[in-house]
Amino acid sequence: MFGQLIVSGLAVGACYALLAIAMVIIYKSSEVLNFAQGEMAMVSTFVTFSLLESYHVPFEWAVVLTFLFAILLGMFFELVFLRQAKDPTVIGLIIITLGFEMILMGFAGWKWGPDQRSFPFPVSNIEAYNFYGLIISKINFWTILITLVLMFILFLFFRYTKLGIAMRATQQNQLAARVMGIRTKWILSFTWAISSMVGAVAGMLIAALGVLDPPMMMDPLLKGFASGVLGGMTSLPGTAVGGAMLGIIENLFGGYVSLAFKSAVAFAIIVLMLCIRPSGLLAKHYVKKV
Amino acid sequence: MLKKNLVLIGLLTVTVFLFAAPAPAQKVRGVTDTEIIIGQTGPQTGPAAAWGSVARGSGLFFKGLNDEGGIHGRKIKYFLRDDSYQPAKTKAIANEFVDQIGIFGVVGCVGSGPGMAVRDYYTENKVLMVSFGCSGVTNWIQPFNKYIFPIYPLYIDEAYALTRYFFEQMKITKVAMFYQNDDYGKQGVEGVERYEKEKNLKLAASVSAEVTDRDLSSHALKLKNSGAEAVVMWAMPTHGALLVAECAKIGYKPQWGTSSTLSDATMMMQITKGLWAGMIHSNFGELPDSNHPLMVKYRAWHQKYEPNERWGTFYYAGITFAEPLVEGLRRAGRNLTPETFIKATETLRDWQGIGPPITFTPTDHQGGKHVFFGQVQPDGSMKKLTDWTRITK
Repeated sequence: MFGQLIVSGLAVGACYALLAIAMVIIYKSSEVLNFAQGEMAMVSTFVTFSLLESYHVPFEWAVVLTFLFAILLGMFFELVFLRQAKDPTVIGLIIITLGFEMILMGFAGWKWGPDQRSFPFPVSNIEAYNFYGLIISKINFWTILITLVLMFILFLFFRYTKLGIAMRATQQNQLAARVMGIRTKWILSFTWAISSMVGAVAGMLIAALGVLDPPMMMDPLLKGFASGVLGGMTSLPGTAVGGAMLGIIENLFGGYVSLAFKSAVAFAIIVLMLCIRPSGLLAKHYVKKV
Repeated sequence: MLKKNLVLIGLLTVTVFLFAAPAPAQKVRGVTDTEIIIGQTGPQTGPAAAWGSVARGSGLFFKGLNDEGGIHGRKIKYFLRDDSYQPAKTKAIANEFVDQIGIFGVVGCVGSGPGMAVRDYYTENKVLMVSFGCSGVTNWIQPFNKYIFPIYPLYIDEAYALTRYFFEQMKITKVAMFYQNDDYGKQGVEGVERYEKEKNLKLAASVSAEVTDRDLSSHALKLKNSGAEAVVMWAMPTHGALLVAECAKIGYKPQWGTSSTLSDATMMMQITKGLWAGMIHSNFGELPDSNHPLMVKYRAWHQKYEPNERWGTFYYAGITFAEPLVEGLRRAGRNLTPETFIKATETLRDWQGIGPPITFTPTDHQGGKHVFFGQVQPDGSMKKLTDWTRITK
């Protein structure tokens, strides 16, 4: 049972980690917590669903088109909503993301209806691999693998590409980056685009693990946020570790202590971390000296 | 002198007006010569929106009924309001229904939580509540309330009867329970435990989930480790789908059983990719493809008025819930007041539309006491396992 709890915890933790990474990418660049992240991912997943079910697009093309949609959605939100805010404060921007979340939720309910649907994912969510008695369902295995690959790609992107380095520079010091010739406003739009795309992957995996319906991201978003707090809201590797840890801790707690309080663990972790180590496990804690 | 005369004339005029005008008939809220005003709240948006189809189904029924001429020369004027399954919103809508629109009664109104938020307010204002809450919690009959006419089978009795079916018909003795951690889920547990206690048995495991939970992997493991031959689930559709998938992943295939709230087999088969096949559950109304004459008629209305709606279990449940209201209105006759309606509705004895046989008496308003059991087939259809069976004394 222990091994089983760890494996399924890792799979769901991988999804939390992806959502948390999507949030952190934005948080690092603008200190905005994007509460619309879950709904942006949900709408993108519904787009994949429509492409697959209504237009019978092959899965791989549906994913590519969804990525395009997610990129446009992220940029659209940044350009049309956030950039237009007059003298924006961080709180003001966060409230705009809450508003956008509600708009997207309403839109999904209107466009696709409230019924639960099965997301046609190419990997079976029932069949399993058996590693010496440890059963890993195919969907769990692929969820973990896809997440690891995506994280690696993100690492390479931020480390070695010009755009990635420009994004990091903007995140560290917007003014200095602008002085160095980086078009920081465009970089900010790209940040939203990439975050939205990462979120879309999380959405697809979460829908494949469960069901697809408008409220499907409510719980994962909160868990993603908890993962970010656990690992460090300014550290991408920290967030990934936080997500995996949260998934495992939750499952072990549910398995051995109490299922009734399983969901509360995430929130207990938020409170605990904010009291003990507010910057998270892997993020550096900066103290501003005056 | 002139002043005195003026006062006299004034008094006379007032007296004439007071006595000459015929006493107007007592005005009944929500009833006019040509209309009866009925309201319904239901979640059209938000997490519970899938149950919003109930209110739209009632709308279809009233539309068809009005086109047939209405009831005693009056047509139903129907107001549907979205409360998103949020009791605070339901309260605000209840105020609007009573103070601004002026309704005669409400029908359906999905949700125990939203229903409880407005039950007392409606009672104070003599609003009739037919099939109220669309749920089988005991809150609608305890304490007795003459304005509420629930017809949904009681969850406790439904769970009890399902466990008895497993035990007596299928010889299953080791049963585990999965439930949603609220009144609905807990009353399911109560029913299963009541039967187990009578037979000196114990639940193999009792596993709960919060409404917002989306990861049920550890729940599935606990159920598997309990070694139960059957699992009874009292949960919402999303959890039903998640749980059967998680159990299938770890190779656990018990006999599943559930409540009538998860009886939309077509939808459940679709979202579980066929894993719902074999599920045994109770039903509170005719099956979607039934040849019952009323079902044939309602399906024709559906094609005529709302062909874009899915003919799902909960859509036409809106009709099932509205039928006893209309029957009560018919029996009350032209002189319609809350009192005449109550008196007339309390004459229903085993009256049946497309739902269960319904009986209301002056001391017992739990109208629906029957269900029938069915098993979901691999093609998504339902095989009837029993006829209408009485589950509540």
